[in-house]
Amino acid sequence: MGILGSIAVFVGVAAAIALTLVGLALIPQRVRRMVGIGLGAVILVGLIVLPLLEHTTNSELFTLTLLLTTVGVSINWNLTGGFTGYVDFGHAVWFGIGAYVTGILMSLQTNGLGIGWPFVPSLIVASGVAAVMAALIGRATMRLKGPYFSIAMLGTFVAMREIVRVSEPLTGGGVGLTLPPYQNRPLFYYVQLGLVVALLLFTWWLRGTRFGSTLVAIREDELGAEMRGINTTRNKVAVFTFSGFSTGLFGGLWAYQNTFIDPDIAFVEVRTIDAVMGTMLGGLGTVTGPVVGSAFLFLLRELIWANFLDWHLLIQGLLLIGIVLFLPKGMIGVLDPRTTSISSLWSKYFGSETVDVHTGTSVMDALEDDDTTAMAVSADEVAVSAEAEGGQ
Amino acid sequence: MTTATTSKSSGGTQPLLVGRGITKQFGGLVAVDNVDIEVGPCEMVGLIGPNGSGKTTLFDCLSRVRDVTVGSVEFDGQDITGKRPHKVAQLGLSRTFQLLRVYPALTVLENMELSVQWRDVGLASLFRRSDSTTRDQADHLIDFLMLTRLRDEEAGTLSGGQRRLLEIGMALMSKPKMILLDEATSGVNPSLVEQIKERLVEINRRDGVAFLLVEHDIRFVKDLCERVVVLNYGAKLAEGRPDEIMENRDVIEAYFGDSGSVAT
Repeated sequence: MGILGSIAVFVGVAAAIALTLVGLALIPQRVRRMVGIGLGAVILVGLIVLPLLEHTTNSELFTLTLLLTTVGVSINWNLTGGFTGYVDFGHAVWFGIGAYVTGILMSLQTNGLGIGWPFVPSLIVASGVAAVMAALIGRATMRLKGPYFSIAMLGTFVAMREIVRVSEPLTGGGVGLTLPPYQNRPLFYYVQLGLVVALLLFTWWLRGTRFGSTLVAIREDELGAEMRGINTTRNKVAVFTFSGFSTGLFGGLWAYQNTFIDPDIAFVEVRTIDAVMGTMLGGLGTVTGPVVGSAFLFLLRELIWANFLDWHLLIQGLLLIGIVLFLPKGMIGVLDPRTTSISSLWSKYFGSETVDVHTGTSVMDALEDDDTTAMAVSADEVAVSAEAEGGQ
Repeated sequence: MTTATTSKSSGGTQPLLVGRGITKQFGGLVAVDNVDIEVGPCEMVGLIGPNGSGKTTLFDCLSRVRDVTVGSVEFDGQDITGKRPHKVAQLGLSRTFQLLRVYPALTVLENMELSVQWRDVGLASLFRRSDSTTRDQADHLIDFLMLTRLRDEEAGTLSGGQRRLLEIGMALMSKPKMILLDEATSGVNPSLVEQIKERLVEINRRDGVAFLLVEHDIRFVKDLCERVVVLNYGAKLAEGRPDEIMENRDVIEAYFGDSGSVAT
């Protein structure tokens, strides 16, 4: 496929997505949900059938498994970053911990430290360790707000990578660890597909529960939530712990498939950046946003990488700026009935009115909706009558 | 709603909220200076004072938003001086804020429902979805506070006065024993002030909810409260019936800097 061909594919895909979004935005909400579920089901069936097709290669399956990893990590990131509003810049630390604990337990034999564990128990312990560490670290870092939390988590991430690097007897230091090889691409593919679907359903479930609502309350106004009887510390640390556990799970799965880990590939910033960007592109705090956004981003990068190696970071950077400027609510956020419509999108980006970024309503709309003028008239009357009473 | 006690006298019965010797220092600044305050069950007490006299800081100390430097707070017979704010709210002490704290991206209904989410604690909250009882209660309060038309609007799109009403509604959702009301009328147009006043009296009479309210509108305090506490430079300047307070020379001086009479 030549460069021109790639560009054509890219433009075609982007146009198809844009058209789908516009189409979805134009139809009523209930129909939209049915169409969305239908599209999801078709894609899911396609993904299930794919490994059974004859010309699907193992390397293609591995690429798709990596895509599922990215999507899974994004869903986890969205639980803290999107729903709870704690933007975690070091989320990949749980991935690295999951990978390393799995690696250490499985390679005990080669290190001469004991008998190597089988994969499944290693994976369970690894996710458990990630969860416990998330609970402990979260308890400390989640006292911080906004960018301070983000930076603290970035620090945690970098520190953990160096701790792994210097703990040589256990982790193999900078040389890394080799895991017993086990090649079964379809198995890992199906396991991760199942995990991602389960996580997606879990997110959807969580959003509707009271616990899920308290997370949104924490994002919207943490002190207000606390003052209204919500144990904010417990709830936010609980979701952070789950997020760590689940990302650790993906880390362990990745380590076994990769068969080799060292600090620089297990703890890599890009994994966090992908989760943040994918979720933002899809829609922060939406259920399907992280899936759509990070899958799109992953495929886009495969395309850019293959054809514009020198440019791919620049293109990605421009894309991020584009998201922030033109798509602050993300692809799925655009479809949210409460936030915006096609017409308000037009006035939002191409009109000259002042617009409230958070609600998407223009000042003119607000004036029309509100009966401020009626209030003002009656206010005068009341003031007069109150004055009269006061004088009696 | 709440354990309705129709008697309005606080004499003889145990006070609901007791603050003893509350002092709050910010560095060298003493924002609240050794203030004693008591509110009985079903009582409506006003807290007034010039700007910067420490009213909101005292509120923050009472509702546990801030730690007291010295002193103790008791609510409903329990010492809450060291308790976390959500525990205090769960005991039945709600508050509203001078700077409004509604959840802007959520609808009015969702805002209301969220104010009782703590009722399912622990794992149960993972399996409970919003139920019809909560919704009915929320709808009832939304009607009561004249927000019916705005039920499904995002709270961020509401006007200041409507947000005040919503905050009061949110405070009421948890069926509190007492509400700390911080400037319920600031930024609210006079017609709405009258309506808020009516609603507050009704809540007090019908449900026996006690109020401590910070207020700039003297007339509002006079109409609602049997007792008024005046703060100045963080210390308690006077306490008594509203009409006595209006005549009090110290109070007049604190407000106007001279001995003119208070214009009502």
